[in-house]
Amino acid sequence: MAYTTFNRNEFDTFEQPMFFGEPVNVARYDQQKHKIFENLIEKQLSFFWRPEEVDLTNDRKDFMDLPEHEKHIFVSNLKYQTLLDSVQGRSPNVALLPVVSLPELETWIETWSFSETIHSRSYTHIVRNIVPNPAVVFDDITKNEYIVRRAISVTKYYDDFIELSNYYQQLGEGKHTVNGETIDVNLHELKRRLYLTMVSVNVLEAIRFYVSFACSFAFAERAKMEGNAKIIKLIARDEALHLTGTQHMLQIMARGKDDAEFAQIAEECRDDVIGIFHEAAEQEKEWADYLFKDGSMIGLNKDILSQYVEYITNQRIGALGFDPIFEVRNNPLPWINAWLNSDNVQVAPQEAEISSYLVGAIDSEVDTADFGDFDL
Amino acid sequence: MTNARRAARIGRRRWASSRTFYSDAQTEMELTGGSTTQLEMDLGELPLPATTRSLPKEDTVLEQGDLFDLLAESPEPTPQTIFEGMEKPIFEVAFADGRNARFQHANTLLESLEAQDIHIEYQCREGYCGSCRVRLVEGDVHYIEEPMAWIDDDEILPCCCIPKSALKLQ
Repeated sequence: MAYTTFNRNEFDTFEQPMFFGEPVNVARYDQQKHKIFENLIEKQLSFFWRPEEVDLTNDRKDFMDLPEHEKHIFVSNLKYQTLLDSVQGRSPNVALLPVVSLPELETWIETWSFSETIHSRSYTHIVRNIVPNPAVVFDDITKNEYIVRRAISVTKYYDDFIELSNYYQQLGEGKHTVNGETIDVNLHELKRRLYLTMVSVNVLEAIRFYVSFACSFAFAERAKMEGNAKIIKLIARDEALHLTGTQHMLQIMARGKDDAEFAQIAEECRDDVIGIFHEAAEQEKEWADYLFKDGSMIGLNKDILSQYVEYITNQRIGALGFDPIFEVRNNPLPWINAWLNSDNVQVAPQEAEISSYLVGAIDSEVDTADFGDFDL
Repeated sequence: MTNARRAARIGRRRWASSRTFYSDAQTEMELTGGSTTQLEMDLGELPLPATTRSLPKEDTVLEQGDLFDLLAESPEPTPQTIFEGMEKPIFEVAFADGRNARFQHANTLLESLEAQDIHIEYQCREGYCGSCRVRLVEGDVHYIEEPMAWIDDDEILPCCCIPKSALKLQ
């Protein structure tokens, strides 16, 4: 079905599935098939923040004092997160918007992608603050083999789906010959690729980010790189919401709530889902190995981080109604929950650590010794 | 100690106010010096009998009907959970693995469980992340805030609900 920016057909929005129904026409939110997406939009908007609100002057000093192997841990994670958010800042729009059929879901996808672009901008903010030449960090992202390897598995499901989806929109269902190649476009395969893409996005938001989060918070536990941790806290809050959005989409699909074919696809793809989670967990453990290759940091090493990956993988796959795939039962990093917690539980707002209170403020410590050579 | 932890500590200290109790029930209490003594306790609001005496600070022997200050980290009943014409929600919470707790005087089920050393995974604490998801085997809960995270029909989010009956969780 060809994409149109304003569908002139008249149809009942409640009859439409999430994807592959009528293209959306009027962006109206008075009638909602899935109210949850409107709630997610509201929540995401209430979370709005700008990277420049967080002062990073102390982080520059902290970073210079870090030993080399800890600098490696910090910068590598930053590179990886930059990659992940580069993907997430555009891919949901490119992949999902042409096939979406509900206005509230369309707007959620746009809101979701937009908030990822804030994350990307915040990485530039961090990098600018800690190194004199940001290009050293950013240019390595497409060259570093450890990052590239993971980039491939992050993007392959998106790319596979987008490729077939483009053919579907141009040529419709059926067998077509394009540039001498025969392409079989069928809706079932397209829906299968969409479902697997959503699972891979779920893994990205639910597991891949958390290794970096753990490291950032481990630095902050030692009162190092606290500005960065503040930004990561805001990012983690957004990611938790995106994760909820993705889980809702997956569950609506898997239960065939608006398209029975998706329920069948979800059933067919159970092994693929487990495979995607497994692959991601193994890659993240390899990444932990790379991070700590020159030495671990206080409070965190390869083994603990690997256990945390397994633990969080169990949690996330459990949320989709699957059995745990690893042995770990308890959270090996219990302190991380306090960092992942959003700021709404404000105990004492004057505490500088509460980032929402610190909005626009500058928290640069001044020691009495700084005035030591002052004469009046 | 990190600053984030310090913030949490300051918050909790607010509960530790000194309050006056006076009692009826039999309880054993250990006093300084290693001696134990029986005293009566009832935390209800009873009028003070005329025979009650205030306990001198240096006195270590408690007698029946003594008035004493209890310095403990016990939370005061919060106004959120008390409604007129409704009983205070005090319910037993049992876990399938044998752990037990009692919900009383807490804003949410999660807070109550944490105060009783039952730790549940959490993140947002306001119902949008779904980290604290547990399976509800028996009982009923009331949501203070409608949860946004996806939960199955037999699951609850303790971070944003209070029990409406005794609960059995898994």
